[in-house]
Amino acid sequence: MRKALVIQEDIIILKIIERLVILNQYECRAIRSINDLDIEDQSANFDVIISDILFEGIAPLDFVFQIQEIILHKSLIIVTNMGQNKIEKEILASQNVRGFFPIPLDMDNIQKLIA
Amino acid sequence: MKAEILILLIKILLLVLVIVFGSIAYSMIYRRWRTKRLQLIESTFAKICSLYLYPAPNEESNLIEIQRELKAVGIVPSKPRNVQYLIDLMIRTQRSILGNNYTKLKKLFTQIPPYGASASKLTSSKWYIKARGIREIYEMDQSQYTRDLIKLRNDDNIYVRREAQIGIVIFLGWKSLRFLPYLKRQMTLWQQIKIVEKLNDLYPIPDLNHLRRAYNSDRPYANELIMRIIRKFHLTEDIAYIIQFIDNPKFEIREAAIYCISSFSLSAEQLREIKEKFYHISNTEQQLMLLKYIQRISMDIDLPFYKDLLYNGSDIIKLSTADILWNNGYKEEVQEYYYHQYTQKADSESISV
Repeated sequence: MRKALVIQEDIIILKIIERLVILNQYECRAIRSINDLDIEDQSANFDVIISDILFEGIAPLDFVFQIQEIILHKSLIIVTNMGQNKIEKEILASQNVRGFFPIPLDMDNIQKLIA
Repeated sequence: MKAEILILLIKILLLVLVIVFGSIAYSMIYRRWRTKRLQLIESTFAKICSLYLYPAPNEESNLIEIQRELKAVGIVPSKPRNVQYLIDLMIRTQRSILGNNYTKLKKLFTQIPPYGASASKLTSSKWYIKARGIREIYEMDQSQYTRDLIKLRNDDNIYVRREAQIGIVIFLGWKSLRFLPYLKRQMTLWQQIKIVEKLNDLYPIPDLNHLRRAYNSDRPYANELIMRIIRKFHLTEDIAYIIQFIDNPKFEIREAAIYCISSFSLSAEQLREIKEKFYHISNTEQQLMLLKYIQRISMDIDLPFYKDLLYNGSDIIKLSTADILWNNGYKEEVQEYYYHQYTQKADSESISV
């Protein structure tokens, strides 16, 4: 079974994405902050990570670089409240980021990417 | 005797201390309990939304089960603060989801417990509760209450009527121009801008029938509002409406007209009309703004018009006109006027010795 990691602070968005991912035949680990990550996640080799970029103690761009280095994964999708064009451009410029979705978002777009 | 009073005092102070510490402890325990309760409501609501939007295959979501779950976490009419928290959650969720899911959520929200909670706020005697109710209604897109909002458009309280007017615009779009130009009270500039922006966001294709019917309104704010709409939607064929207010006796209306006209370019006929109206504007600042605009959109310099201003305008207008002529290659005309003033002064003024 494919594996997905969802990190979203807003529990409502988190639960909805978790449900969407599970229905697409993924094994899903859903957490609310990066503090909940543990050592096993590092080697879990996720097929997809769907994450926010706004977390305490780390700048959004730094977070994207860090997570790409630390956690093994195939693709990264960003879902965030911080949807300015400038941020989007900078993040999409880095490798392996498959999608950037500012909130409000249409979940169907995510479904297309993970199906 | 003194010792007894002291002991009594100490006892009273001890009692006060006990009460203070007791209340601190109570509030700490209560807050912790309350936060847990709110978190429980939030996670239950999140679970309900996710299961409703993405039910397991071949399974219908069960509304009665949903209502039962919400009741179990304390969403009952006797606990209005919990109900309010749920409404806030609904608004937050609806703001963050688009597409099919948005429509699904809208349907869900009409069917789960606090239905009617926002509408019942409209009858409250307190303005902030009323305004909040209106806001919740339009944020959650509950268009069945449009009639109630229309009734509140002339409310005594500015915040209530503002929210009601925005709600009317959201639900009725261009049809709201049946009401908005005929309100009993003034509308502030900020409110006009909000209405124009909402129209632009939600109903980007202008409905000229409804707009043109509103041209008959004689309320000053309505004239300004319509001019702003013409500007925002760039309705070139309706510029005549703005031009008629260029020399209006009211300062604010002139201000709005000059501001709105400046995003259009005009035909020769319209330009001539504006130049005629230029002389009837009583405020120099506004004349100056209009002069700059005329210069910006004109293909070539209208020498008789500028020369007339150069000789007959106020000092500030003269200065600007000279500036325009000088920079457009009519230096001789400016020099001519320059020497003309001296000959005039030499003739008319006596020199004190």
